[in-house]
Amino acid sequence: MARLLSRRAALLGGAALGGTVLAAAAAGTGYLAFVDMDGPDPHIDGDRAVLNAFVALHEDGRVVIQAPRTEMGQGIHTGLAMLVAEELDIPFDGRIRVEHPVEQLPVYANAGAPLRTRPEAMRGPLMWAASRALSVLPLMNTAGSTSTMGLWVPMRRAGAAARHMLVAAAAARLGVPAGALTTAEGFVRHPATGRSIAYGALARDATAFAPPPDPALRPASAWRLIGRSQPRLDLPAKVRGEPVFGADVVLPGLLHAAIRQAPVFGAAVARLRNAAAVRARPGILDLAVIDGRGVAVVATSWWAAETAAAQLDIAWTETAADRASSATLAAALQAALGDERAHEHLREGAVEAAFGPGAAPLVKASYTVPFVAHACMEPMNATVLIREDGTAEAWCSSQSPLTMRWGVNRGAGWAGVEPASVACHVTMTGGAFGRRGELDVVAQAAFLAARHRGRPVKLMWSREEDIGRGVFRSHAAARLRAALGPDGLPAAYDALVAAQAVQQSAASRTLPFGQGGSPVGDRFTVEGLEKAYYAFPARRVRSRHVPSHLPVGVWRSNGYSFNTFFTESFIDECALAAGQDPLAYRRALLRASPRHRAVLDRVAAMAGWGRPMAPGRGRGIALEAAYESVVAQVAEVTVAADGEVRVDHVFCAADVGTVVNPDAVAAQMEGGILFGATTAMMSALTLDAGAVVESNFHDFPLQRLANAPGVTVEILPSGLPPGGAGEPGVVPVAAAIANAIHAATGRRLRALPLAVTETIGTRRTRSLLPGHAA
Amino acid sequence: MISLIVNGRPVRVDAAPDKPLLWVLREELGLLGPKYGCGVAQCGACRVLLDGQSVPSCVTPLAEAAGAAVVTVEGLGGPEDGLSALQQAWIDEQVPQCGFCQPGFLIAATALLARTPRPTDAEIDAFIDNVCRCGTYPRIRRAIHRAAAAPGQG
Ligand code: FES
Ligand code: FES
Repeated sequence: MARLLSRRAALLGGAALGGTVLAAAAAGTGYLAFVDMDGPDPHIDGDRAVLNAFVALHEDGRVVIQAPRTEMGQGIHTGLAMLVAEELDIPFDGRIRVEHPVEQLPVYANAGAPLRTRPEAMRGPLMWAASRALSVLPLMNTAGSTSTMGLWVPMRRAGAAARHMLVAAAAARLGVPAGALTTAEGFVRHPATGRSIAYGALARDATAFAPPPDPALRPASAWRLIGRSQPRLDLPAKVRGEPVFGADVVLPGLLHAAIRQAPVFGAAVARLRNAAAVRARPGILDLAVIDGRGVAVVATSWWAAETAAAQLDIAWTETAADRASSATLAAALQAALGDERAHEHLREGAVEAAFGPGAAPLVKASYTVPFVAHACMEPMNATVLIREDGTAEAWCSSQSPLTMRWGVNRGAGWAGVEPASVACHVTMTGGAFGRRGELDVVAQAAFLAARHRGRPVKLMWSREEDIGRGVFRSHAAARLRAALGPDGLPAAYDALVAAQAVQQSAASRTLPFGQGGSPVGDRFTVEGLEKAYYAFPARRVRSRHVPSHLPVGVWRSNGYSFNTFFTESFIDECALAAGQDPLAYRRALLRASPRHRAVLDRVAAMAGWGRPMAPGRGRGIALEAAYESVVAQVAEVTVAADGEVRVDHVFCAADVGTVVNPDAVAAQMEGGILFGATTAMMSALTLDAGAVVESNFHDFPLQRLANAPGVTVEILPSGLPPGGAGEPGVVPVAAAIANAIHAATGRRLRALPLAVTETIGTRRTRSLLPGHAA
Repeated sequence: MISLIVNGRPVRVDAAPDKPLLWVLREELGLLGPKYGCGVAQCGACRVLLDGQSVPSCVTPLAEAAGAAVVTVEGLGGPEDGLSALQQAWIDEQVPQCGFCQPGFLIAATALLARTPRPTDAEIDAFIDNVCRCGTYPRIRRAIHRAAAAPGQG
């Protein structure tokens, strides 16, 4: 596609950069600079009139919206299209088509995620420069529940700018001032004469007009779409079974590949004992050791490749981790908790004094969670084509076209090929949960593609490779302490968590250069420990990095997924020690946090908190603020005489700021709760002789219809800008369930998973409290 | 050559008799609706109707489908892009998230309604044991009830 860089985009690389920084600094905030319209100047591309980086129109009125985030089930393509349609003033109907852009433009970057801030909160020249650097890469990724937060303003501005240009084109054609025109339903109207022109008929002309520098946005009172549930644009294709996923990519001449990777991370291929026999199987075209650590089989069909790979007899090198087991890893965590050389993230007030001799009554508790897998429904896969001329193309259900590009370069480099260019096609993903920001499978596919120049190669991991050879959420353990004041509330709170640092592990695998920095003080490790909204007069948060040979990565809600289990279980333990009701106790702690208290009160009302329950049943509550949102949940459980525990229902109240597509937010809360409930009740990876034992859904089970809780969600109205929705729903549910089990049985469970999973027949399971398993 | 009927069309397939039906459909017949999720009859993403029965096609050898009528998610709708009542209910309830598991759920639910036109929650739970990692279960249940109550059903 031909593209003209806009003047502002050109400034990025030029000498004018310094001047732009100064101008942004002088303006006091860099906000407008962050959401400007860097990208193509308006132009005609085939039968599309491209008005800006996000909006193109066809003459027949179809509108193509570039949504630079991955659709992984969260409905982001629909939400982003709603923002454009709101300002463009078009109906939300079949005329809209959403694409993930292939070009990686600065304007598509997601600088907010690593900088941990909303675009509108970015202030000052340093933040501006950091954001600019990330944009030039550009860092495009779908992570950290940031998509709506980050694009909430740019997508609307793109729609408003396009509308402005269409109005300008109509004004010129009709010979009237633009101010005399209005728009509605995809038409520009001239009320004085009753004339109207469809957008499609104006689209080509509109490319001749300059985009306005700062188009005005509609006030909330004038919104037609934002805040009103719209049907997901991607669902008709998905219920028809259309091939929208990376695993479904089919190209002329496509080759298929399967892989076997080292059971022990860090081990290399020592010897391939039966290479000749495997090569001789029907349909096998190639056998290759990838990066020393895996063996791939290339064939004319994936079935042929996978069955051949299953026959591979590979000897792996010995490693220092060959004797690691769940027990040794757990011991390392516990040792780290006993070691006082922790990294201090936060200290407020006189924490140590509060725990000194003769101090107030203390509550102390230790908690643990195991390693877990992402288990995305669509197994890891990537398709790469490297042509004879060195140009490369990749198709992947990826959370980041940037890491895709790096992956292609890395994998091709293993084969001694340096791609001249890489075009990245981000497909829809069959679940992602953080797993698909990794570049591993793309690099492997690129290596194979470099050996088969001119033929696209699709590599797909088996489910067994996915569960046991992938990237995991770290295990973690925490020691929490509170000194209770005369009112029974914590006068001091002290949290220490031990886990394997995420950022350094992920960065060391992904970044093209360097080792990813220091693992000490990892920000993901302490997410959910601070509890800033609770009025603790003194608090301290510390962490210890505990290395292991396993690769750990981001996993839907990261540190919150364990720390909120720890902290919200602990708050219940404090309430119990103080002889207070868990809801009333939290309300007292939220005296200076009205937003959080409103969410908590709402969920308590939804669940009928305080209403008596039958024997064997219990109710538990938990709260967290995460990703600029606040979520509270009440879980109801039933524990039978034989120890079977069922999560019957989860009530959820959420304040996620301004809501774009309410039903999609509700769906994310539902999905987050079920993801979190499965994890809380049954998910664990165990390690033996350095390798993950679990391999598929029979031993890494997930809840099914029969044991999934019912869910009721309410989204509270809010005037704040949008917060995250994809991850917060996961966060409180484990603690809510643990607290409910305590209410039902008096047993305090401090380790996940909360239950032992018993298989019924071949596929079904039930959950038994520890100590009840047969 | 093995003959079977796929989505109403007779086809002849030149593939090994032990090749799983899933891979015959995906690789030989270009039907990409049935998904590979586990390969061991655990997840249900690959489910198809085999003479009306919902089966995991990842463990169904082609030979077993010889002469049989196979229906994939692509074959559920009526003519001209029409959707079945279940597919429509799936949209009305906005069921799919990522959607990868949904072809298998739609097949399982189709088989359920064929024998139990107005299933209770317990009957739904007893019949369908597919896996959805995104957690669409509450909506799946609602959509099945909606389809069961749709005019012309049951
Ligand atoms: S792929 Fe067949 S049941 Fe999972
Ligand atoms: S919708 Fe994603 S696995 Fe079910």
